Amino acid sequence: MGKEILEVKNLTIQYRTDLETVYAVNGISFSLKEGETLGLVGETGAGKTTAALGIMGLLPERTAVIPKGEVKFDGKDLLKLSEQEMQKIRGSKMSMIFQDPMTALNPVLPVGKQIGEALYLHNEENLTNSQIEEKVEETLELVGIPKERKVEYPYQFSGGMRQRVVIAIALICNPGLLIADEPTTALDVTIQAQILTMICNLQRKYGTSVIMITHDLGVVAETCDKVAIMYAGEVVEYGTLRDIFTGDRHHPYTEGLFGSIPSLTGDSRRLHPIEGLMPDPTKKPEGCWFAPRCGKCTEKCKKQVPPVYEKDGHQIRCHLFDEQDTEEVQ
Amino acid sequence: MEQNLLEVRNLKKYFHTPAGLLHAVDDVSFSIPGGKTMGVVGESGCGKSTLGRSLLCLEPPTSGEILFRGKNIANLKKKEMKAIRPKIQMVFQDPYSSLNGRMTVRQLIAEPLLVSKLCRTRAEVDKKIDEIMDTVGLARRLDMAYPHELDGGRRQRIGIARALILEPEFVVCDEPVSALDVSIQAQILNLLMDLQESMGLTYLFITHDLSVVRHISNEIMVMYLGKCVEKAEAKEIFRNPVHPYTKALLGSIPIPSVESCHKKRELIQGEVTSPVNPKPGCRFAVRCPYASERCRQGDIPLKEVGRGHFVACHMAE
Repeated sequence: MGKEILEVKNLTIQYRTDLETVYAVNGISFSLKEGETLGLVGETGAGKTTAALGIMGLLPERTAVIPKGEVKFDGKDLLKLSEQEMQKIRGSKMSMIFQDPMTALNPVLPVGKQIGEALYLHNEENLTNSQIEEKVEETLELVGIPKERKVEYPYQFSGGMRQRVVIAIALICNPGLLIADEPTTALDVTIQAQILTMICNLQRKYGTSVIMITHDLGVVAETCDKVAIMYAGEVVEYGTLRDIFTGDRHHPYTEGLFGSIPSLTGDSRRLHPIEGLMPDPTKKPEGCWFAPRCGKCTEKCKKQVPPVYEKDGHQIRCHLFDEQDTEEVQ
Repeated sequence: MEQNLLEVRNLKKYFHTPAGLLHAVDDVSFSIPGGKTMGVVGESGCGKSTLGRSLLCLEPPTSGEILFRGKNIANLKKKEMKAIRPKIQMVFQDPYSSLNGRMTVRQLIAEPLLVSKLCRTRAEVDKKIDEIMDTVGLARRLDMAYPHELDGGRRQRIGIARALILEPEFVVCDEPVSALDVSIQAQILNLLMDLQESMGLTYLFITHDLSVVRHISNEIMVMYLGKCVEKAEAKEIFRNPVHPYTKALLGSIPIPSVESCHKKRELIQGEVTSPVNPKPGCRFAVRCPYASERCRQGDIPLKEVGRGHFVACHMAE
């Protein structure tokens, strides 16, 4: 694997209104090397999408605040860049695939125009219009759409095809980093398999780094190298795919998440869900965010924010792992 | 031999559209023994929701018979249907849009009782509401709350309470967990299975999620464009899928474990074709890697390939 392309350190994002503060992302850290795929896993409201928007610099201006943190991309701290400098990076060096292909496209523009737009704006090689058109056709074929369809409008495409168009938009400038925000959640399983295979093949071809945001652990197992499990704006467990999916050292939330999935092979009739609900993100707890739902909760968990313990690169944010052979990081 | 609570024979539901006749459900037959669960899987647009709605005559079927306890309930008169409705109920897909936002939880749960006029007195209604709220795990303090104040899992519990308060025998669950997060989904699935045990319910469980359907069903029916392509016991279908579509469907599920990752998968190309004026023959033929000329001619009947394992495919011979 190549050098580090993205390093996120202690990123904290809050939404502030006159009435309350929403603690959406609370100090997350991870890094990504060239050609690697990181899975960002969590349930609704875990702060996955907010983290992605924070990296892309697309947070709503009036309410979102980033009190601290660092997003290093290609050696530059993105949080310190001006909007103009950011615009040069966004869409050309890093881009995003949005969740819902039904609403991500402009309904009154032909898809060819929408795919070419990024190239017109980031035309660093001074391509002529016809060269851009050629590149658009090439990209369309790449994502498996016949090039004749570039004059058609989004409503003429099915959901899977629209997601291919969104992927073409994200890929046309050959970005170094691709953030895929639940790219297949809105699609059927057979189409999901097609799209995931396509993303993986394209990634291998161009050496793109990918952040795969999803709530589906199956998707993670098939596509990712590293995994970060998020809960209430924190990364509660972080490690390689093998660290997360095997072994017996896990954050209680990760265990709960795996216990909730009906197995395709096992025989147990009962699932082991996590009792209770996601915490209110406007009320920061004294101790661990997960404590009210945790079966292994102690007095310490309620009072003290757990630090991150690390062993061979496998990080867990939980008091239970305060052992001899673990190392406290921060 | 157990008695079948519900038996469906040659059910068809066509819709007239400007483009032609849309075959939503085309000649589907099956039966469910009392206390069991039939899972219906398929991709969006395969007619699984229409099938569920036809069983309750929310969409009157075009032709075919629906025998509930031996009595044909298809195309009954409104009054007769109303008498049977309390016995067959439905849990809807989207807990966000299937509840009236202007009614409190108590009003929502009481509504079926008031409509069916099963209770004589106000006190009786109140008692039943309290009971059912306990059964589905809704705290009683929530009874004056409005749906928008509750999360998806609790809202789906209201939907289940509304379906169960009439003490039905048969419940159609139309994707009851697909709008929920996994940890909440597991809570609801456990609840549905507990209720089945304690109340002796029979389910028709509609979903696109294969791991959920395997978990909850006794028997599974795979649908493709309005046709039933394969039907077998839940374990049998996962162990020994025969129809190419079932194989592709099973092969497409991402499996959450390291051992299975990066394996070669059998993908099917293309997308679901239109159900409007379908061509004769197998509807999957366009996407099927094994399709021959024979597949495009004439209807393909369901054939029994194993005990209780039916497949509609020429390959299965």
